[in-house]
Amino acid sequence: MTINCPFAVRILTEFIRAELAKFGFQKGVLGLSGGLDSSVCAALAARALGPGNVLGLRLPYGKSFDADKDDAGIVADGLGIRTETIDIAPMVDAYFERRPTDSRVRRGNKMARERMSILYDYSASEHALILGTSNKTELLIGYGTIHGDMACAINPMGDLYKTQVRQLAAYLEVPERVRLKKPTAGLWDGQTDEDELGLSYAEIDEILFHLVDERENRGDLLARGLDAGKIDRVMALIRSSEFKRQLPPIAKLSVRTVGHDFLYPYDWNK
Amino acid sequence: MCYFYGMKIALAQIAPHLGNLEKNWDLHQEAAAKARQAQADLLVFPELSLTGYKLRDLVESVAQDPERSPRFRELMALSRDLALVVGFIEERGEEKGIFYNSAAFLAEGRIVHIHRKVFLPTFGMFEEARFWAPGNHFGTFRSPFGQAGMMICRDFLHLNAGYLLFAGGAEMMITISAAPGRGLSGEKGFGSSRMWELMGESLSFFTTSAQIYCNRAGIEDGMTFAGGSFVFSPKGALLAQAPYFEEALLFAELDPADVRKARQTWPWKRDDKPEVTLNSLQRILLRHDD
Repeated sequence: MTINCPFAVRILTEFIRAELAKFGFQKGVLGLSGGLDSSVCAALAARALGPGNVLGLRLPYGKSFDADKDDAGIVADGLGIRTETIDIAPMVDAYFERRPTDSRVRRGNKMARERMSILYDYSASEHALILGTSNKTELLIGYGTIHGDMACAINPMGDLYKTQVRQLAAYLEVPERVRLKKPTAGLWDGQTDEDELGLSYAEIDEILFHLVDERENRGDLLARGLDAGKIDRVMALIRSSEFKRQLPPIAKLSVRTVGHDFLYPYDWNK
Repeated sequence: MCYFYGMKIALAQIAPHLGNLEKNWDLHQEAAAKARQAQADLLVFPELSLTGYKLRDLVESVAQDPERSPRFRELMALSRDLALVVGFIEERGEEKGIFYNSAAFLAEGRIVHIHRKVFLPTFGMFEEARFWAPGNHFGTFRSPFGQAGMMICRDFLHLNAGYLLFAGGAEMMITISAAPGRGLSGEKGFGSSRMWELMGESLSFFTTSAQIYCNRAGIEDGMTFAGGSFVFSPKGALLAQAPYFEEALLFAELDPADVRKARQTWPWKRDDKPEVTLNSLQRILLRHDD
């Protein structure tokens, strides 16, 4: 689980720079929450593109998470990247006035997709590509909103477990207060990822690493002394979230179909 | 036996543009100019250097017939004073619609040898056999630098490929590669780079032949190519290695007379018994019991 941070940073900064350049972009835009993942992504982007070419959008819901907004400011100032702030409460509230709900999940997803919609608008107005901040842990257990925080043009961090993002954060000198605070998806006040999941990231990552990277099975994990309930919970999360990791299936009718046998590389002729 | 001293090899660890023949041709010409300036004798490019690697359905748009393609005429001209190894998609006029992942060795203005990749990785992140056909032969050829053989990427990792070139008399094996980096850990570079280095070192020592391995750099669809190209002497010594991951033009001085010295010290070649290999393989394939 330990990574060579200088080597990882070299690869990820080149990935960001090269992928943007291939499509004719020099600038990147990302949602800056004041949390660990977006802070690390901002630090990578600032190194890759130069701080002047990175825009961090702070997209709080009203006055909640004011402390996070401050942290996002500290991160942005430290990196010298540009920021803008847009309160998403008017848009989200306008919607739920027409379709009221007590569901925290529906409200949280709506907020994530509101942020996505603003990021894509800035992508167009700033001629900047959206840098995703989903890590490998979130992608594998499906802990993200499809077409919300999972939406992006490129994802530099999608092959790094949360534990590894933490290592990178220390190497990249992300402020300590950001590194030490409890991870939250910002879905509601006081929410933390680990409370919601019922597992700590350290526990999830240990299970995922052996299951995915080491190709071990349930029996192997039990033999390691890992908790059966926790293993089953993680395995169930992986299985139930496959739809978030793939494009939707297309019903095949013709002899050549997008996704089935019309197969071109993403970096086509770039 | 060919004697020549101070042969200079250049390895172009480039990052080809996916599906863009024109931009890649520019990269080849730039590397050739630098290699010529450095008075190199042989310039080796990576696997699919003229086309990029993850072509998928682009394969038909970049395929070339080496006997007819104008690009190959230019390559032959380029090879008049600098031997070249390039990677390309091969499609012959008499075999339309059948694509091979091939390596061409050009020297003195002509195509000396073409090797078609035999072992096409088709598992996990690799899907080669889905898009192109396998070659069926490992042969050696007379090069200006002695008897040589070529492999393409995964070929190199199959022990029988290196053995067949050894049995065929290769004094020099040239492997062109598009090997992605896999396995980030606390160690230097990608874990998968060690696999190639291990085989390079082993083959150089146990076949007493020079091992020239040219990998590529760059990123395609998030796939990071690991670089780390190298040259091992016929005595098993690492002569030069390019950095991991980054583009580079690596030079190495090779004295092919070392083959003779190495084979006097370690007579693996003299004592090889290809007929035993053949007999044993026949028994294995025919499921004969002793």
